[in-house]
Amino acid sequence: MSLLTKDSRPGLAAPGTAPAAPRAGQRAPWLMVSPSLVVIGVVTLVPIVLLAFVSFTDYDQRSLFTGVFGWTGVDQYTQLFQDSAFWSATARTFLFTAALVVGSVLIGAFFAYLLTRLGTAVRTVFTVSLVLAWAMPTVASSVVWNWLFQPGYGVANWILTKLHVFGDLTNTDWANDKWLAFLVIWLLIVWQAVPFIALTLYAALTQIPGELTEAARIDGAGEWRTWWSITMPILKPTFLLVTILSVIWDFNVFNQIWLVSGGGPGDSTSTLGVYAYKTAFVGFHVGQGAAIALVTTALLAAVSWLYVRQLVRSGESL
Amino acid sequence: MSSRNKVGRKGGLLVNSLAICWVFPVYWMLNTALKPRKDVMSATPKFFPSPPSFDNFRTALTQTNFAEDLRNSVIVVGATVLIALALGLFAAAALTRFKFRGRRTIMISVLIVQMVPPSALLIPTFLVFNKIGLLGTYLGLILAYLALVLPFSIWVMRGFFLAVPVEVEEAGRLDGASQWQILTKILFPLVAPGAVATSIFTFITAWNDYLIAYTFMQDQSRYTLPVWLASFSTPDKGTDFAGQMAASVLFSLPVVIFFLFLQRRLVSGMSAGAVKG
Repeated sequence: MSLLTKDSRPGLAAPGTAPAAPRAGQRAPWLMVSPSLVVIGVVTLVPIVLLAFVSFTDYDQRSLFTGVFGWTGVDQYTQLFQDSAFWSATARTFLFTAALVVGSVLIGAFFAYLLTRLGTAVRTVFTVSLVLAWAMPTVASSVVWNWLFQPGYGVANWILTKLHVFGDLTNTDWANDKWLAFLVIWLLIVWQAVPFIALTLYAALTQIPGELTEAARIDGAGEWRTWWSITMPILKPTFLLVTILSVIWDFNVFNQIWLVSGGGPGDSTSTLGVYAYKTAFVGFHVGQGAAIALVTTALLAAVSWLYVRQLVRSGESL
Repeated sequence: MSSRNKVGRKGGLLVNSLAICWVFPVYWMLNTALKPRKDVMSATPKFFPSPPSFDNFRTALTQTNFAEDLRNSVIVVGATVLIALALGLFAAAALTRFKFRGRRTIMISVLIVQMVPPSALLIPTFLVFNKIGLLGTYLGLILAYLALVLPFSIWVMRGFFLAVPVEVEEAGRLDGASQWQILTKILFPLVAPGAVATSIFTFITAWNDYLIAYTFMQDQSRYTLPVWLASFSTPDKGTDFAGQMAASVLFSLPVVIFFLFLQRRLVSGMSAGAVKG
């Protein structure tokens, strides 16, 4: 490489080195990356700082018009931590997230396993069914769910009544019963979450060399034993990944709850996200809503940290 | 494949019933959308639309704000996709093809920013937009969507740049290409398929957003399609299910088509960096 090349084209990778190659202090990369940094700063970092700020004020509906609000220090937080509704929303969020993650990961893993055992034709049909469920926008699937479980005319009510197991459910209003509302939302979210998990795990499963499981079988290992001793250890990183992603997604679920039950009846299906939204945009206690949102973010950050660590460990060089 | 490796007859039955369960809600949406209006609300559900009718689609298309809301969606989502693509391409190129001080910090920041839940951005962004008059505007919604998709775009496109070997650049340099030419004539075309896949992700995220659009676009003439879809249910008049199911089909169609084509890439892309679901 000539001197000329070095001087006239600073910054690009030198031969024989990794893509991100030497030479510091250039303007080109900064010119290229700064528009993104400015946008991210304006749309994400500034709002987060502002969220923290607002959570220390008594910002409310009046303030939206007048711009007048008072500084309250940590009052929003002390109020919040004394409020039983906040604690139940927190507990609800954790339990619901756990129920969703366990349900979708277990069913997803089972489906991934089934996919490996199917002939090409059946597998294609099954995959397309999964992809269709996955592809539906959550707003669409939520309104379809409302229709499936409609009292009086819902096909789910009709089928369940025909089964003669639970009695006459024709006029059951799912969204108006605490536990039934949870059940319906759980079904909806799991129905849509399973395809991604199943297809991801299936993709990982197909990477496992057949000789390994074959060898185990020859050594006399049964189906279950082969899965547990050979497949599981190899799948572990992928399992961890889909589990952490599911935790993050399920913790943040909003649309499905909002559109199926509106967080009700009462507050009984309000998870932290819905609770914060209702506080800030329905009751217009914006300051209080900001405090809830910030606590939620902090809780989620703890989980996300695990995800970042996993990414770094799984060989993503930063 | 030996027979041992396939599921038996019982297993086949199980798989078929699972496939039916999974596809049933989609079927029920289509079925309702195609039913004659009088058959929609019946005590005994009709499992086939007989005869199929396109009336519900006609109603959804003509007697609602469909055209207007579609235009709003196209403008906002289109702008979001294009801006995220342009900014993301340059940022990802800088982060992978150059070594400079602060690179690692930027990379970690992008990853962390991606973790911020959209619901946490909602309150402060709403307050600022209310103050500076961006509520109910296209620009406001586009900015909010960039918060959702830009860090993700950078992160995923970074992966596509990493896959391009350095030798390609060297060859270009030997031929006397300038830094700019290497970037635009060699690197960008090479990552184009990846950039398209990333853009489709961006499209789907912005196209599907309900929460932000619902909160920011309070004026009916500025609604986007997800809000349009939800507005078939009104507290006072109840829900027009036939129209809503037809609308759901129309609204889901582009997304479903992309998914069927991109399924494999979506799996790897989502595990590579999608944090916002």
